[in-house]
This record gives sequence, C-alpha cells and structure tokens, in this order.
Amino acid sequence: MEIRFVLNGKETRLDTAPDRRVVDLLREDLGLTGTKEGCGSGECGACAVLLNGESRLGCLMLAAQLDGKTLTTIEGAAGDGRLQALQETFVRCGAVQCGFCSPGMIVAAADLLGEGPEPGREAIREGLSGNLCRCTGYAKIVDAVQAAFETLQGGPNP
Amino acid sequence: MNQDIPRIGRPFLRPDAASKAAGLEKYAADHYGEDLLWAGAKRAGVPHGRIRGVDIGAAAALPGVVAVLTGRDVPGTNRQGIVHKDQPVLCDDVVRHCGDPVALVIAEDRSALQKALGLVRLDIEPLPGVFGIDEALLPDAPLVHEGRPTGNTLLQTVIRKGDAEAALWSSPVRVEGIFEVPFIAHAFLETENGVARQEADGRIVLIVSTQAPFRDRWEVGHALGIPMDRIRIVGPYLGGGFGGKDGATVQCLLALAALHAGGRPVKMWWSREENFLAGYKRHAARMHYRLGASETGDLQGLDCRLYYDTGAYAHLGGEVMALGMEHASGPYRIPHTRIEGVCVYTNNPIGGAMRGFGVAQVSFAVERMMDRLAGRLGMDPLALRLRNALEQGDTNGCGVRLTQSTGIRACLEALREHPVWLGREAWKAEAGPFRKRGVGVAALWNAMGYGRGLPDSAIAKVELTREGAIRVYNGVSDMGQGNTSALFQIAGEILRQPETCIEGVQPDTERTYPSGSAAASRTTYTYGNALIQACEELRRRILGWAALMLFADTLDDLELLPGRVRYAKAGKEVALRDIAAMMRDEVRVCISQFIMPVALDAPKTGKEFVIGFPHLLFSHAAHLARVEVDELTGAVTVDTYCAATEAGRVLNPQTFEQQVEGAVAQGIGYALSEAVRVEEGRILTPDFATYIIPGAIDVPEIASIVVEDPEATGPFGLKGVGEVGMNGPLPSIANAVSDACGIEPDRAPLTGERILALMRGDSAASLTE
Amino acid sequence: MRDVFFPESLEALWPFLVEPSRALLAGGTDLLVKVRAGRADPSAFICLERIAELRGVREGKRDLWIGACTSHAELIGHPLVERHLPVLHQALRRLGSPLIRRMGTLGGNLCTASPAGDTLPPLYVLNAVLELRSRSGVRQVPVGEFITGPGRTRLEPGEILAGVRVEKPAGRQVHHFEKVGQRKAMAIGVASMAALLRFSADGAIEAARFAWGSVGPTVMTCQPAEALLAGERPSREVFERAAALARAAVAPIDDIRASAEYRRTVSGNLLLRLLSLHSVLP
Repeated sequence: MEIRFVLNGKETRLDTAPDRRVVDLLREDLGLTGTKEGCGSGECGACAVLLNGESRLGCLMLAAQLDGKTLTTIEGAAGDGRLQALQETFVRCGAVQCGFCSPGMIVAAADLLGEGPEPGREAIREGLSGNLCRCTGYAKIVDAVQAAFETLQGGPNP
Repeated sequence: MNQDIPRIGRPFLRPDAASKAAGLEKYAADHYGEDLLWAGAKRAGVPHGRIRGVDIGAAAALPGVVAVLTGRDVPGTNRQGIVHKDQPVLCDDVVRHCGDPVALVIAEDRSALQKALGLVRLDIEPLPGVFGIDEALLPDAPLVHEGRPTGNTLLQTVIRKGDAEAALWSSPVRVEGIFEVPFIAHAFLETENGVARQEADGRIVLIVSTQAPFRDRWEVGHALGIPMDRIRIVGPYLGGGFGGKDGATVQCLLALAALHAGGRPVKMWWSREENFLAGYKRHAARMHYRLGASETGDLQGLDCRLYYDTGAYAHLGGEVMALGMEHASGPYRIPHTRIEGVCVYTNNPIGGAMRGFGVAQVSFAVERMMDRLAGRLGMDPLALRLRNALEQGDTNGCGVRLTQSTGIRACLEALREHPVWLGREAWKAEAGPFRKRGVGVAALWNAMGYGRGLPDSAIAKVELTREGAIRVYNGVSDMGQGNTSALFQIAGEILRQPETCIEGVQPDTERTYPSGSAAASRTTYTYGNALIQACEELRRRILGWAALMLFADTLDDLELLPGRVRYAKAGKEVALRDIAAMMRDEVRVCISQFIMPVALDAPKTGKEFVIGFPHLLFSHAAHLARVEVDELTGAVTVDTYCAATEAGRVLNPQTFEQQVEGAVAQGIGYALSEAVRVEEGRILTPDFATYIIPGAIDVPEIASIVVEDPEATGPFGLKGVGEVGMNGPLPSIANAVSDACGIEPDRAPLTGERILALMRGDSAASLTE
Repeated sequence: MRDVFFPESLEALWPFLVEPSRALLAGGTDLLVKVRAGRADPSAFICLERIAELRGVREGKRDLWIGACTSHAELIGHPLVERHLPVLHQALRRLGSPLIRRMGTLGGNLCTASPAGDTLPPLYVLNAVLELRSRSGVRQVPVGEFITGPGRTRLEPGEILAGVRVEKPAGRQVHHFEKVGQRKAMAIGVASMAALLRFSADGAIEAARFAWGSVGPTVMTCQPAEALLAGERPSREVFERAAALARAAVAPIDDIRASAEYRRTVSGNLLLRLLSLHSVLP
C-alpha cells in the first residue's frame, strides 16, 4: 500500500507492505539505521521514535499506522530542539558508551522535555524506565537529561 | 570534535560519542548491502541427542531460499573454539545443547528465512543429558563429549600454598559456607550479528560485531579450511560485548554462508531470543569455602573447592575457572591456602567470557565469608579487611609476589572516611515501617591481561597522513569501554595535535595489526603502551625531518604544535602537511609492538593451567552498599552505592567513572535480579521479559572515588578498570542484606522471594500464617 | 503480509468484524508481541486508532466514562482520573514503561485479560462496568464478570469493548495500589493489590474492597476479608487476620517469576502495607 507521512520534516511517499514493522521500514528500506533494534518485543526501548512528537516503540508499530502522521527519528534531530539539546548534553555529560541505546534513550528523553519543568532525578529515571542500557548504569544519562532541561530553559536552575 | 589537544588526565569527550548520539555511527548491525541475503541457523531444540537425519527438502524447495547447508557442507575441520576446538560450526553427529546449530539456511529475505527454518526437519534421537555439576561428575554419567579420559571434567586442578589443612585445624575461629551463582547473560543491546561477502578473487570479507577480529580470522580459517590471508574481518564499534562476543559467534556460520552466496552479501543477526538460546553465558558456579583466622582477625588458612559449569563446550571454561581460583582468596594475606577447581561439561548453555571472568563468582563467596568471620570475631567488617589487605611486596593467596601497584588498602581507607560509612548507624535507625536497613562492604581485585602462556601483545600503527593529520590504527575493538578515547589522548599528548587532526581507524585485519582481544581489562594498557612507542617514534621522525627542512641542528630546539613544527630560535615553521609531503610512505608510518610484562616468579603450583596463571597486574576496589529490605515482600533496594577504585593512574576521569558506574550497574543485576534459569537444559528465561536486567529506577546514584596508584609499567601509569567493579555489588549487597536482617544469603540473585524465605526461616515472629 | 484496516467510526468497524480471523489492534503492545512469538496469527489487523468514539474521558454527575482506546499515558495525565480514581492512576504509573504506556490502551489491557494485567485490580475495586458494543447494540457487564480466565473474556463475536464506566467514589477514601515485580519498572507483576477503603467520620473502616493480580487465573477478591474489616478501626491485629483470609483466598501458581508460596504470602502482606499509610493509621 502507499503511505504518506512526514519523515524528519520531509513529505514522504512510500509503497510498502502495510504490516511492515516501522523499525524495518526505517532501517532496511530507508537506510535510516539510527533507530536500533534490541529485542523486538517492546522491552528495551532501543527502537523508540517520535510519532506526532510523542515517543513510540518502532518495533511494535506497523507501517500503515504512519499514514497521515509525522515521524521523527534520531536522524531528524535538527528539526527538533529537544533532540538537539539532548544530543549535545549526552556527549558532554558522558552518557554515551557503546551508544547502541543512545538514539532510543534520547528519543524517550525528548518526551520528558516536552512536559514542564525539570522534574528531578527520580522522575527522570522513571521517564527512562522503558529504555535499557547495559553500559552506563544510567547516572550520566540522567545528568544529560537534566542538562538538556537547562539548555532549553536558557540557563542553570536557581 | 574540537580544537583542543587531547591530553592525559584532562577532561576529554569521547570522539565517538557525537556520531553515536546522532545515530550516524554504523555498528555491524547497521550494515546491509545491495542484493542482500539473510542467513539463519536451525538449532537443536533438545539438550543432548544423536542426529539421525536432517530433512532439508521442503526448506530448500521454498521460493526465496538460496541454500540449506548441514555439517556435510562444512569444509575444513568444522570445529571452532579458542583453547579447545570442540565446538562444531554445524553439528554433524551429536547435539550437546538446545542452541547447537544443525543447519544453515540462506534466503532472499527474513520472511522466507523464518519459513524455511520452520520447514527444516531435525530427526534427533534424544540422549540422556547432564544438567548439573553433581550429575555430570557421577561415575556413570552420560558424557557430553565421548571419548574423553576425564569424562565430563574439562579441568580439575589445585593451587596450594603452605599447608591449609593444618592451618585450618589450628585456627581458633573457622567459618564455612557453600555459595551458588547462576548462569548470567551479557544482555548487550546489539545482539550477535555480521555481514559476509565472498569477493571475486575468492577472499571472504566479514563485518562483525566482535571483540577479537584477528582471532576470529584464525577461528574461521581453522573451522572452514580457509587460509587466514584469504579472510578479512572488519570490527566496527560494538553495541556492547562484555565478553559475549569474545570467541566466534556468527563468524564461522557467516563465512560458510558467504561461500554459497554467489558473491552476494549475506547478513545474520540473532534475535534476542536466539541470543539467549545460543549466545555464551557467564559460568554458573558452586563454591565451598572454609576460612580460618586468629582471635585477632589475622587470616590463617583457606580451603575452598570451586565448581564451574561450562556447559556444552569448553570455550574459555578452564581459563575462567583458573582466574577464579587465582582470586578465590580475595585481596588478602593468607599464609596457607588450598584452592581446588573443577570445571565441568554439562548439556547446559555454553559458559564463556564475561566481565569479571571467574572472579565475579568467587568474590561473592570470599566476601561473604569475610563478613561472617567479622561477625564471629565481633569485628568491624571494614577493619577486618584492612587488617588483612594485601600491599605491594606481599605474596597473595596463590603464592605470587605483588611487585606492582596494589591499592586495595587505600580503597578500603577511602570507604572508611566516607560519610555513608560514617553515618551508617544513624541511617539504619531511620528505617520506616516494614523496612530494614543495612550497610555492607566488599574488597575486590581483578587481574589484568592474559597472564602467562599467551603473549599479551598489541601492535600499534600510527600515521602522519598526507594532509598532516595523525591517524591511529586501533587494533583492539571498542565495545563501549572507551579505549578509542584513550588512544586519542595518548596521540594528542605525545604529538600535540588537536582532536580535529586526529583520526581513528577501528580494527580491521587488513588495515590494523593483531593486538589481542578486547578482554581481560587490557584493551587500553597493552595497545596504549604500543601506541606510546609508535607515537614517540613518529614524533622523533617528524622533528627529525623538520630539522632537515628548517636547518635546525638539534631536535631540542624544535616544538611540535598543532599543524606544524616551530623552530623558535630562527623564527621559522614548517607545516605537518609539508613534512608529510617530503616523506616517503614508509616513513610516515610507525608500527610498534608491546607485550605486557609477566609474573616471573611463577609459583610451583597451578601447572595444569594451559594459559593464564599467574598474573602480574591487578586493579583493586572497595565497595559500599546501603540497602533497604522490605519485610513484606523481601525486595531489596540499593539506596546508595560507593565504589573506591584503584586502577593505576586515571587518563580520562569521565571514561573511568563510566566504567565504574556501568560495572556496578551490571553487578547490581547479578545481585538482585538476573539469572538464566535452565531446567533439563532448557532455558526458561529466553527474553527480556523473563531475564531481568536493571533499568533506570533500579540503579541508585553511584559515588565513584578515584584512588590513584600509578603503575610503573602502564601507559602513563594506567591499569585496566573495566572489570573490577563488576565483582562488587553481589557481595556488598549480600553483606548489607545480612547486616539488615541477620540472614545469610548464599545464593544469587537475592530476589524478594529468596530474601523473604530467609527472613521467615530466621525469625521466630512471623509476618505470615 | 497482512492487511491493516482503519475504520474511522464504529459504524465502519462492524463489517470488518465479520471475519473472526482478523485481530483488533489498539496499542499493539500485547498483540504484536504475541504475533512475533507465534502465539497469534491473525489474517489481518483491524486498527482502532481512528475511531474517535472509543477515546477520551467523559465526566457524568456520578461517574466517569473512559474510552477503551484511550492510552495509559493519556489516562495518567488526565486530571479527572488522577482526582477521582487514584487507585487506577497509581496502577497505570506502574504499568509497563513510559513507551508502553504511550501505546497501550485500557481496553487492550482488559481484553488481553492477563492474570497480571495492572489495570484490572483497580477496576475491580472500583466496580467498573464495561460497555460492550456490537452492530446490534450495547450491553453492560461488570468487570468481575467480564474476564473468565487467563486471556478469556465474555466478548461475543462481532462485539468490542467500547468503554469503561466507573462511579466516582465518594466520602473519605483511601486508594492504594502496590505491585511486586522483579524490577521496579517494565516488569510483569508477581503479585499486586488494589485497595479502596472508605472511612466513616469516627475513623472506622466503613467498607473495604480489595483485588489481587498475578495470584490466580484472573483477578482475585476476598469478600471475607472485606467483611471482617467493615466497621473496624485499622489495627495490626485486625489487618493480620484479614491478611490470613486473603492468603487463603488467592490461587497462585509456580512460574518462572515466582513460586505460588511466595505469591500467597505476599498477597496477605500487601494488606499490611496499608498500615504504613498515614491516611490509614495516622
């Protein structure tokens, strides 16, 4: 079937099997390998993408569900201030080790950045509880999310 | 990337972080290809059996299937393995664990691949299997590998120092214990995968997620009868390894597939479920300990027997056990020891390398024993450890003299001064309703490098490019531990070029040089030392050629600066690019080999070990866990965690902390929630829904305390820090739980169910019926 | 390859339901996992996400109506749910992970009817009534009668779960939900308990409702424990007795996550947790 959606800011038209997994569509059909697959069953969060600005699991979405919507992947960070801020702070705060969880983690963290003031480290951890990381122990990822709040709010919190 | 010069000991952001955060860095899993084929293995599905037949007809006839291969189609020896070549690429007569591969399907797409795998019919006559250590050691036990004179025992040996039996007999205070730990999964996010292609000239090129591309080449060559120089293996950044990609996983199967793919690229990417089924595991172990001490807390004797379950194939089982035995006595002075190890084959999943390689297991046992000893003596557990802590110049529990930096005492002292330790009683007293609080410590050590019997060698290559940049050809895989970062810092420190002028090439058997595996906490030490040599030679060469071009009569008057060499006295400069243009290609490249020094006074014991024993260099740590136990559910929460770590000198504070925090998190999983549960050889925890690794809410804030003790032989004083932290959480948390509840945890993981049962067993007042 | 249909209204939906081999797709967090594992093999997917009638929260004078295709995340963020149904709000926050909650729906959780479904115990103690719709009309089924066993509901062919109606609890209430899992988030419950206590002015318990998850083929209740507490002031002694009754009432099994014995013990212990709430025992 043909689907039409906005992908990373660009109007996109594709012919695809309607039940193709979004993560496969991105990685294999569109060459956008930034979105990863770690488990295929929604447990690890490595496949997270933004659908209409909200985080979703790409391994549990069907291509047909993209029609008429806006999809942003990690490659589309330039078009989303939250993703951009997080990319910079992830690097600065040392939140990237092997980096395989990083795109999904950044996408999930973007969701937190859209929802009000910085909620504190515990709440940030909760917000990232669907993204598994095996390398970092999460502390620096939380640092990076806090730092991204500062970036977007224009300075350190009092 | 910035204009600053990466320097040792100064903040330096990982050069790979930006591309990874942008989703642009290509892992092996991100490589596809034109006209791509997909390969997948049909696996035994039974833990032990004789293959009567493999019916591939229906699968081969399926549209979209290119080939279905079996053991008959494997040229060469059809055997892979690191120390022992006992593992078939495709099983030809016997299957020894449920994940053993029997057939290989190559198909046009993943859907056809899955269908075809479902159509391959395996006719396997089940054989009785052995699924536990005791079973496997019975005299008439079914053999996992027929014809072995030692039956199911892969390796059995003893390390002796003095007379442990006598020492224990005469010890006024003795404690005993038996400890059990389960199989553990690495659970890296990027599962095993690769892409392979046979080129027109017959050479096979593989891009693989691997910790050892050069050794893989040797394994593939031996298994498939292909000369090594006809195989090229490229090893991009890994999405995690932790030991699980040390040793061929997809490599031999992929190379075999490439031979039948008509020049098309073939991709194999294990699903998470296949990773659990077929991937390597941390060995399950059972450890029997007897520890004796004087009334004043001086350790006098240790007698322990360690059983390691290595599963269906040897992999690195003997070596894992050997390292465990080497560390079984803890970082303490013990004059008399008897350490026996028995490594056993079973029809369980394959035990292989995993961070903390045999040491994570014994750390649990010896540190629990120390706490029980402290309890019997009425001694503070930190004081007991300090009293017995090894120092440089001491002889360790295996009789090996510690000639190099030994910072365990300083680590323990750092904890003793820490507010969490000092405030522990007040914190414990504030436990809320239905909560008990405890604090526990653990003293840890972990050897670095391969030890004896195998050269721990790396060959560094560094190049002054035609553009005047510095290109480092990294020989050791970067699986996230950040060795690439250190290499930039070393190159920057010596050659004084900014990050924007330094490039790294990741391991590639065609472009970089054999430098050993990303393992054994050696990845920066050995290659780093080789790189220092190569960079220093390159520096001399650059300055020497500059001298010719600037008419300087001594190199002492020349300065290497970003992009140029300056001759300040004469007010002249020459650009690196111009120097490079004057040099012939062979001059612009410096190659240097470094071999890690070895322990020279090897004790008379431990002679049965093929490789490994003993080691010369150790890193150290002392950990402190503050926990809360829920009396209603038994659930253990780690409230705070402190890790004081000594790994020589710190080259990059951020990557050092990253390693500590990551190791502690993995250790917390080992302590509280992780176990590959196996029943009659079948894995009952085949996915992330049932194998529980810590999430963001499960890991507390971790206070990392750096204890520096520069290592004379290390690159700028560094030792490897990758593993030692892994060994701490299970014992420190177990000790904390014991402190909180007065129970004796002796089995991991410390699940709520286990802790609640121990609490109910121990307390007369019951919360229940 | 499977077709994916997107009816845009209930009217448009009914014809698709004629073919029973098709599966209804809401959030996909259960169905697509099952399909991947080979435990479901629908001929096609009927995606409900464009049917506006199935989404949202509407407030009546005495009750709330929640559309079956409302996502867990939407419900967590909804002021009416947080204000009137705190026990459901608490459970939703422990369900899955933030990503799962963005996609999963209340209706999906109900129709999947897992013994471990996190929304189920709260809906039981809230006496939720389910609105089942078909081409021929509507019927209301109390949640306690809707689920008949693990993965089994009273949905008839051609029928869907359209919404959930909950009376807004009144008076001095204590809402409590606790889930015991192998990890603090993204964990299938090993035992869970929802509790709704109504207090009279003098501080005695007027009525208690309890429901347990993951300790039986479906949600378990214990009327004797509820009866025991009615009229009593909260105390360790009376709660211990209620806990003992609860342990006798549940029917857990051994599985890879926990033993039946542990689940039984914890079922009762979770009742005791209420004693640590200031709202119960100041």
